[in-house]
Amino acid sequence: MNAPGRDPHPRGWWAMVLSDIHFWVPLAVLMGGLLLLRFIR
Amino acid sequence: MLPVSSSQFPAAIQDASRPRKLQLLGILSGFAAGAWLGAAEAPTKLVSIGISPMVISLIMVIGVFLARWSLPALILGTSSVRADVRQAPHLIIWALLAGCLWAVANTLTIFAIRDIGLSIAFPLWNSNSLLGILWGFLFFNELHQAGWRRRVGVLGGALVMCLGATLLAVASSARGPAAHSLHGVWAALGAGILWGTMYIPYRKAYLTGMNPLSFVTFFSFGELGTMTVLSVSSLGLAPLWQELLSARSVIFWLMLGGFVWVIGDVFQQYAAKYVGISRGIPLSNSNQLWGLLWGILVFGELHGRSSSIYLEVIGGSLLMMLGVGAIAFSSATGREQIRWREAAIRESDRYGVATDFVEARMDGRQVLGEAKPSRSGLDWLLVVAATGVFVTFAAMARVPQMSLHWGPAAVLTALLFLFLVICGLTLWRTTRFN
Repeated sequence: MNAPGRDPHPRGWWAMVLSDIHFWVPLAVLMGGLLLLRFIR
Repeated sequence: MLPVSSSQFPAAIQDASRPRKLQLLGILSGFAAGAWLGAAEAPTKLVSIGISPMVISLIMVIGVFLARWSLPALILGTSSVRADVRQAPHLIIWALLAGCLWAVANTLTIFAIRDIGLSIAFPLWNSNSLLGILWGFLFFNELHQAGWRRRVGVLGGALVMCLGATLLAVASSARGPAAHSLHGVWAALGAGILWGTMYIPYRKAYLTGMNPLSFVTFFSFGELGTMTVLSVSSLGLAPLWQELLSARSVIFWLMLGGFVWVIGDVFQQYAAKYVGISRGIPLSNSNQLWGLLWGILVFGELHGRSSSIYLEVIGGSLLMMLGVGAIAFSSATGREQIRWREAAIRESDRYGVATDFVEARMDGRQVLGEAKPSRSGLDWLLVVAATGVFVTFAAMARVPQMSLHWGPAAVLTALLFLFLVICGLTLWRTTRFN
């Protein structure tokens, strides 16, 4: 059941993650949320 | 992107009624999520008895952490979590990220409730549904080839919900201390943006085949880690410990709020999985109505206000519910579901996840030959430990000195359990929680 094309090295999917916009959009919103929390406190 | 062929997802065309069943299941899950998520906010009313919002949020997250580990262990066993991670290890990162977003959003909601009240703050952060529709459309092919009627249903429903939220925001201007009301509005809207964006990791996980129960397990590390850092950096370790000690008589109630939230969130995860985030989030946002019911009937919010404020709040809530109804009746058709599957193939290609695994999980079933999940001694240990923590704090708990109406609270609680039984049984019969 394992995918034949999967890179066995963790750095392989780390590179995929870091080049994925689905990762950066939530990360940017998280940073904005932390700034807002700091402002409100 | 190549179109999906029947050979890529052969089982998808074998049972024509399966997609329809899963759509209905997703809608039911969305409504159950609304009831439970709405009830979970009620304990945050304790903010009015002088506990720091940070401490309240931290205690809730501890309850959430316990629930997010014990519930999956009880329902499927941690062996299913390990099996999911072996298939898609990269999703751990998204689960952690979603947990961080949740923790910050939850803290903002505590500030919002303190400054503008539960019945007003709710609709403001529920603007997350608009963002969910946007992200679903942009990133996951949701509402693509949906037909104009369904697009109007979803977008129109979301806009009607915004109108309702605006009406409630107008009502907020006549309530609460003016010095903090703007901060409260910003906090509630900020929470909405964070929660709306949190559904990107959710949808990504489910398009790649992860079980919602596995996702929430890793999610919990992100939320507890973030909340611990926020609390310690905000208050300092020693003052935080002192606050926790002084709050020990209400810790149980806050942890219970976190536990109730997790049950709602699990239903919400199944809604996001089976009807997508553009529909799942607005449906879960029916928690606004439940929050309103708890706020007004149990906690006596808005008591003594003018009738025009009541009319604005009730009218705004009804508008939001009308929008939710329009969205619920705009479920995804076959062509739109094919576009969902294209997004799933994109994800499985990118991260090298087995296609048969993704296909099976999208259909709410196991892969042929996959071992059935089973519970081990470790699972029972997790359940017993979590129960022990709750029982210990329940023994220390005191009913807060607040004006509460227990009759309506009992009725609302009975309705919650009705949703739990109906939706839980339907999920079990249709998918075995896969």
